Amino acid sequence: MMEKLYLIARIADTRVALRSRAIHSVVTVGTPVEVPAAPPHVAGLFALRSRVFTLIDPHVVVGLAPVTAVEGQRVIVVDVADHGYALLADAIEDVCFIDAPETRVTGKLLPGWARVADAMIEHEGASLLVVDPAHFVTLPVASAA
Amino acid sequence: MDDLLNDFLAETAEILAEAGGALVAWEADPGDRERLDAIFRLVHTIKGSSGFLSLPRVTALAHAAEDALDQVRRGNRPADAALVTGVLGVIDRLTQLCGALGTGDGEPAGDDGEVIEALAFAADEPASPEPIEIQLRREDDLAAELQAWRSIRVPLPLLDSVMTGVTDIVLARNEFARMLRESGADPRLIASFDRLSDSIAGMRQSVSQMRMQRIDKLFAPLPRIVRDLAQELGKKVKFVASGGEVELDREMMENIRDPLIHIVRNAVDHGIEPLDQRVAAGKGVIATLSVSARQSGNQIEIEVRDDGRGLSPDALVAKAIAARIVTATEARALSVKDKLELIFRPGFSTAAKITSISGRGVGMDIVKANLEKIGGVVELRNDEGRGLAIVLRVPMTLTIISGLMVRAAGHYFAIPRGAVREILLESSDSARIDRVGGGELATVRGEQFPLLRLEEILGLKPGADEDAEDRAIVIVRPGQGQSYALSVAAIHDHEELVIKPAAPLIMATGLYAGTTLPDNGRPVLLLDVQGLLAAAGIDASEAGRSHDEAEEVEAEAVAARKAAQLLLFRDTGGRVRGVRLSVIERVEEVPALALFESAGTVHAQIGDEIFPVHAGRLPEGAGMLKLLRLHDGQRVLCYPIEAVIDIVRLPDIVQPAAVPGLIAGVTLVGGEPVELLDPFWLMEQYALGEAAAGPSQPLCQLAGDADGWGENFLAPILRGAGYRVASADDALAGGAPDVLLSLSDEEGPVADGVPVIRLRAAVAAAGPDDESVYRYDRQALLEALRVRIGGGRS
Repeated sequence: MMEKLYLIARIADTRVALRSRAIHSVVTVGTPVEVPAAPPHVAGLFALRSRVFTLIDPHVVVGLAPVTAVEGQRVIVVDVADHGYALLADAIEDVCFIDAPETRVTGKLLPGWARVADAMIEHEGASLLVVDPAHFVTLPVASAA
Repeated sequence: MDDLLNDFLAETAEILAEAGGALVAWEADPGDRERLDAIFRLVHTIKGSSGFLSLPRVTALAHAAEDALDQVRRGNRPADAALVTGVLGVIDRLTQLCGALGTGDGEPAGDDGEVIEALAFAADEPASPEPIEIQLRREDDLAAELQAWRSIRVPLPLLDSVMTGVTDIVLARNEFARMLRESGADPRLIASFDRLSDSIAGMRQSVSQMRMQRIDKLFAPLPRIVRDLAQELGKKVKFVASGGEVELDREMMENIRDPLIHIVRNAVDHGIEPLDQRVAAGKGVIATLSVSARQSGNQIEIEVRDDGRGLSPDALVAKAIAARIVTATEARALSVKDKLELIFRPGFSTAAKITSISGRGVGMDIVKANLEKIGGVVELRNDEGRGLAIVLRVPMTLTIISGLMVRAAGHYFAIPRGAVREILLESSDSARIDRVGGGELATVRGEQFPLLRLEEILGLKPGADEDAEDRAIVIVRPGQGQSYALSVAAIHDHEELVIKPAAPLIMATGLYAGTTLPDNGRPVLLLDVQGLLAAAGIDASEAGRSHDEAEEVEAEAVAARKAAQLLLFRDTGGRVRGVRLSVIERVEEVPALALFESAGTVHAQIGDEIFPVHAGRLPEGAGMLKLLRLHDGQRVLCYPIEAVIDIVRLPDIVQPAAVPGLIAGVTLVGGEPVELLDPFWLMEQYALGEAAAGPSQPLCQLAGDADGWGENFLAPILRGAGYRVASADDALAGGAPDVLLSLSDEEGPVADGVPVIRLRAAVAAAGPDDESVYRYDRQALLEALRVRIGGGRS
């Protein structure tokens, strides 16, 4: 069943579906701390239960202008290679089971999105991109940024 | 089942490492029954656990090794190199199997026949004649197994989660404490809260101790490495480890494992000479390689020492030049220490040829970099021809360090306290900041440091609210031989920090060494003090600086030694004059009454001696007088002065006087004209007619001076002419006489080789061959003396 569970969120101005098993949790950011001289998609650091998480701004990863992380913002926490990261989310919509199968991405995506999208899925009459949050962390930033 | 297997693998890996080391040690001393028992127990444990987990290959291997060892224990088999090699072979195979098991595919199929075969004892071989004393003490085994129950195995993630939990508790406590204070709670409540607080602090301490491990774990694989390598290279090496009880954070341990192994391999491969060279150098055939650990403060010092050939600074330089690491010009400027440290330069390999053992691209530069990453340093103690010691110094724990909190542009950062040498305010008197060609330089008490502004390196805009006047300088020493000044907006405080690695994409900036959560619960980045340097692209090496400084100091000292010093004084006329300090013997203070006039010149009586004084007339009145005693090596002349003013460096430019005289010239000292005395002229004035006794003056001995004529009439003339005179009765106090003056006609005793002048009372000579001199013929006498011995003054 876990395979069918998806988090529907709005990140980088786009509604996407994230596979729930890739996600650690969804939390609210405390006071973010800036990381000077870090890569542009690093939006800062914040502490959660004595762990330090690195904030990632998906806007930058897909080639949009960066947004500022603010206290109280919802973030999607993921673990990549034993490090904790949090993707800034514009909105968290829902966690739901989607029975429809994941399909191959059709149509031409913006280069930034093409790199993070794994597949597409039908949900409540809309096509959503299925993205792997790890890609936001590990991929180099889109040069269009 | 999986848990059991994991436990088995973890335990076995440990046992195998330990057994390898123990075997090699046992091989060196086969009579060591205790060690044999220990090895036997280790193998026995593996056999027991593997049987339980049904791992037939492991069981069979362990059984074979156990069997062979038991034969030795029973005295049925000698302990020889073949046996040890066989058991080591089993251990290698077991290690392979455990590796395969760890991947989770169960025990792989395979044949261990040959490995077990190698262990078999060929009974028909002539048995070793030396019987080994072995007592059967099997009950010991039981005792040792009981000991094992006193410690337990805890998975690392559990330990880490305990650590995280404690950190959480600390953070919660801090917040709670703040709330308590704000609510104005009952003091009794606060007191009991404080008690809780204390136990939390204690717990935090214990948890960090839980992460400590004995360093002998790190040493365990070394004997095996040394043995195999030495055998391969045909060298004989005795390995000694000490200080294994020292404890180190397990994370630090991971970080120094590879550097340590590399250094040990290097020592065997390059440091220790081949046998023939050792013999030629008069050393024992068996080389000693020792590894020792000791704790000093919160640092651990690990020393790897060999008694090999050491490092040759010149060979290193030649090699570095050949490898184009330095130019010949640069090399000449290197100190011995710099030369030795060439081995830490990337691309440097000390071996004449690259061997399969050490020269594999992992150089000492990597060793150094790895150590510096964890805040450690590498030191070389070289004794050329006799050995080399490499000392690794690492902090005891990486995870909790003392950190200095600083602020820049409104952000807080931590700096490892260990790297901070000094903290001072930019406005402080002891610091000066200069802008030099776009860069900045901080001079702190004469020492120069490149100045980095933290905001600039991190690309931050200086905060508007921060006072540019009030900035602080942190003198940072990121590694040995390097230092720089880091300018920050403010120093906050320092506290114990739990350091966690930051995300790789943050670490990749090279500016940060990790993240930490101080007590306010907001993450803070730990600055990588070495990385800041790289980012700023400056050379912070002290070598150049201190070198120049030392050279400067040296040059100054040389110049000071060469430059003459000038004694400034006020003479009796009130004028400021100067004289070279080196001609002054000392300054005398005498009563005015000690001066007297005689034969037109003033003399001074100082003690038992009389010296001429350069003065036109006797000073008026009584009181004390100061006299400069000028000394030319033979004679003394006094020069009366009023007071000594100072001793200064003799200025280079002197305006010479037009005519020779008392004043040699005029120079400027501190903007004031000063007349310089001419000691040559002064001495010249008084040298004439003065007859002070000196050792360079020939000694005349009077012989046959029966009526005292010689002593009363002749001696004063001789003394006036610059000779010393001794009567015949004098016990030749002045040593052997240079000439003998015989005053009587009879033949006196004549010493060998001493010329004799006979004086006669008659005016006329007794005959043509009479060489005697008429005693009142002053000219003839002095001439005779001059001819015989020279010296004196005519």
